[in-house]
Amino acid sequence: MKIVATRDEAPGVRTMRLEFQDPLELEKFKQAYRTGMFGLYGIYGEGESTFCVASPETRNDYIECTFRKSGRVTAALASAEIGDLMTFRGPYGNRFPIEEFHGKNLLFIAGGIALPPTRSVIWSCLDQRDKFGKITIVYGARTVADLVYKQELEEWEKRDDVELVLTVDPGGETPDWKHRVGFVPTILEEAAPAAGNCVAVLCGPPIMIKFTLASLKKLGFEEENVYTTLENRMKCGIGKCGRCNVGSVYVCKEGPVFTAAEVSSMPQADL
Amino acid sequence: MATLLYSANLNDCIARWREEGLMVFGPATTGGVSGFQEVKDAGSLDLDLILTRSTLKELFFPRTEPMLGYRIGKQQIETEEFRPPEGRRIIFGVRPCDAAGMQVDDALFDWDYHDEYWFRRRDSSVIVSIACTHADDFCMCTSLNLSPDSTKGSDVLLRPLLAGNGWQVEALTERGENALASISSLLKEGGDPTAPVADVPVKFDLEACRSWLADPENFESRFWKEISERCIGCGSCTYLCPTCHCFDIQDEGDTYKGIRRKNWDSCSFSLFTMHTSGHNPRATQSARWRQRIMHKFNYFSLKFNVNSCTGCGRCTRECPVDMGVTETLQAISTLQR
Ligand SMILES: Cc1cc2nc3c(=O)[nH]c(=O)nc-3n(C[C@H](O)[C@H](O)[C@H](O)COP(=O)(O)OP(=O)(O)OC[C@H]3O[C@@H](n4cnc5c(N)ncnc54)[C@H](O)[C@@H]3O)c2cc1C
Ligand code: SF4
Ligand code: SF4
Ligand code: SF4
Ligand code: FES
Repeated sequence: MKIVATRDEAPGVRTMRLEFQDPLELEKFKQAYRTGMFGLYGIYGEGESTFCVASPETRNDYIECTFRKSGRVTAALASAEIGDLMTFRGPYGNRFPIEEFHGKNLLFIAGGIALPPTRSVIWSCLDQRDKFGKITIVYGARTVADLVYKQELEEWEKRDDVELVLTVDPGGETPDWKHRVGFVPTILEEAAPAAGNCVAVLCGPPIMIKFTLASLKKLGFEEENVYTTLENRMKCGIGKCGRCNVGSVYVCKEGPVFTAAEVSSMPQADL
Repeated sequence: MATLLYSANLNDCIARWREEGLMVFGPATTGGVSGFQEVKDAGSLDLDLILTRSTLKELFFPRTEPMLGYRIGKQQIETEEFRPPEGRRIIFGVRPCDAAGMQVDDALFDWDYHDEYWFRRRDSSVIVSIACTHADDFCMCTSLNLSPDSTKGSDVLLRPLLAGNGWQVEALTERGENALASISSLLKEGGDPTAPVADVPVKFDLEACRSWLADPENFESRFWKEISERCIGCGSCTYLCPTCHCFDIQDEGDTYKGIRRKNWDSCSFSLFTMHTSGHNPRATQSARWRQRIMHKFNYFSLKFNVNSCTGCGRCTRECPVDMGVTETLQAISTLQR
């Protein structure tokens, strides 16, 4: 795949847009890709790394991924340039059941670098806006600089059919920060979106997920109506290498999308 | 009357198969280490071994295997796909527990995505097993609902004759029949009695263990820490297991050329599940041992309806700290009472 555009989102976080070289491969991808799936992105000589497909199924003639530079492969990807070639395997995994969300209010909650998987659902829904009720997005990061997709945040803020709640952790604000200060679960409870007829999509680091789930429960959300993604370490993506299991679940095949009810039936110590 | 192969004719059989272009593999020892190796004659075979140290699995799923090669030029990237070799093979003298292990991995490698690396080799190999007349204290096939003369995963089963001068031959699959057809002139008809199979006592109640493992209450039991405190995470038990199949994918080479490889990996290693953030779902050795036991006797059986253990006993036989599946399941059996 060819890198056709890159954008630096935050320190060490980059988004790349990739295009297929081979029209047949593009066609296969379009047939297979549904919002929520992930892929294995690689650079020869460095290896492969797992990221979600951050672009929605409604915009499927390219792939966007957003990654944080954190190891060998991501370091190599971070120094790749427009026009360079890289490898992609996928799309793998399951999807968000977006049709089941039709007619409902939607609540998106994301923390830090976990906005990419949420973003793919957000755009899938915004691209067919009339099928859904009220849309609320709660997004937080440690500091203002750590917020990703700043352009899109501005875009969502301007729309009157989206309610955007932005927050940074205490101490992470800048003098000109106009939004909230506080941890995601606290801010979520303050915003208090109604649980009735509402589906929540929640992505973030394990610790944030844990506390946010408790807040959602307080707000009256049933676990069946809360979706999240699990991001266990993966290598093959196709249920063979044996690495991504949580209990008897192969996250790469049966996930990465699960309801909170499914997650709480898994052995918690394995998460 | 049964079909017999006398030991005296084995050398000619091997020669016949080799003339037909088949590679012949069997248990053999080089440098003090036993495993399945290509042999040219019967004399190289070590058929008295109870079990080879390394398993049959390696002939189908090598320790390290190239998947693709790359070469990066100024304007373009060239890649070369490696495919498993096509050669037809006979693997002679396999133990029933190792043969049964093949079926376990068949289930995994055929799950949803059909793994060509495994099945190309699988489809071009004939497995000729020999029923066991001897076992050691580590053998426990009978505890896993198998037996020293189990036919699972074999194309041909040989039963040793009481006189020790050959085997009674039974073809189990079409592939097995074809392999026998090419040596038909070397096979005899006869009523020679076969030797009794090894006596392998049942060591634990598998069903009771499985139900204990399936109970979520026991996932965080102190038992796990107590039973596995000695484990040093060396990974030997997984590398020597006929059914363990976990692997890693790594690039070997530099920015200009190299190979993307698939290498064995093990749930006993601490980095196996380590997230980049530093969070590790299985951060302790006991959590990793629990995973190994749970995967084999609970998760795998639930998903594929077969236990991912065939009772070969290698994990216990070769563990540097004398742990193993046997001890753990025996302990679980006693917890039941
Ligand atoms: C379904 C899914 C979706 C994901 N989506 C995204 C996403 O959209 N964006 C994103 O940024 N991330 C995402 N991730 C996380 C992402 O996969 C990791 O951040 C990424 O793999 C890091 O890659 P790396 O190759 O640079 O690190 P690697 O170099 O592969 O190292 C990864 C980590 O493994 C350990 N490690 C490996 N080898 C060694 C060694 N020899 N010695 C010591 N430690 C070692 C270290 O902890 C290291 O930090 C996702 C993960 C999953 C499973
Ligand atoms: S475990 Fe059973 S089949 Fe395996 S070598 Fe021992 S006796 Fe033979
Ligand atoms: S159980 Fe034994 S062989 Fe297995 S990893 Fe632990 S120490 Fe090594
Ligand atoms: S777990 Fe141990 S006894 Fe069971 S098949 Fe593997 S090595 Fe043999
Ligand atoms: S990533 Fe290999 S089994 Fe899931």
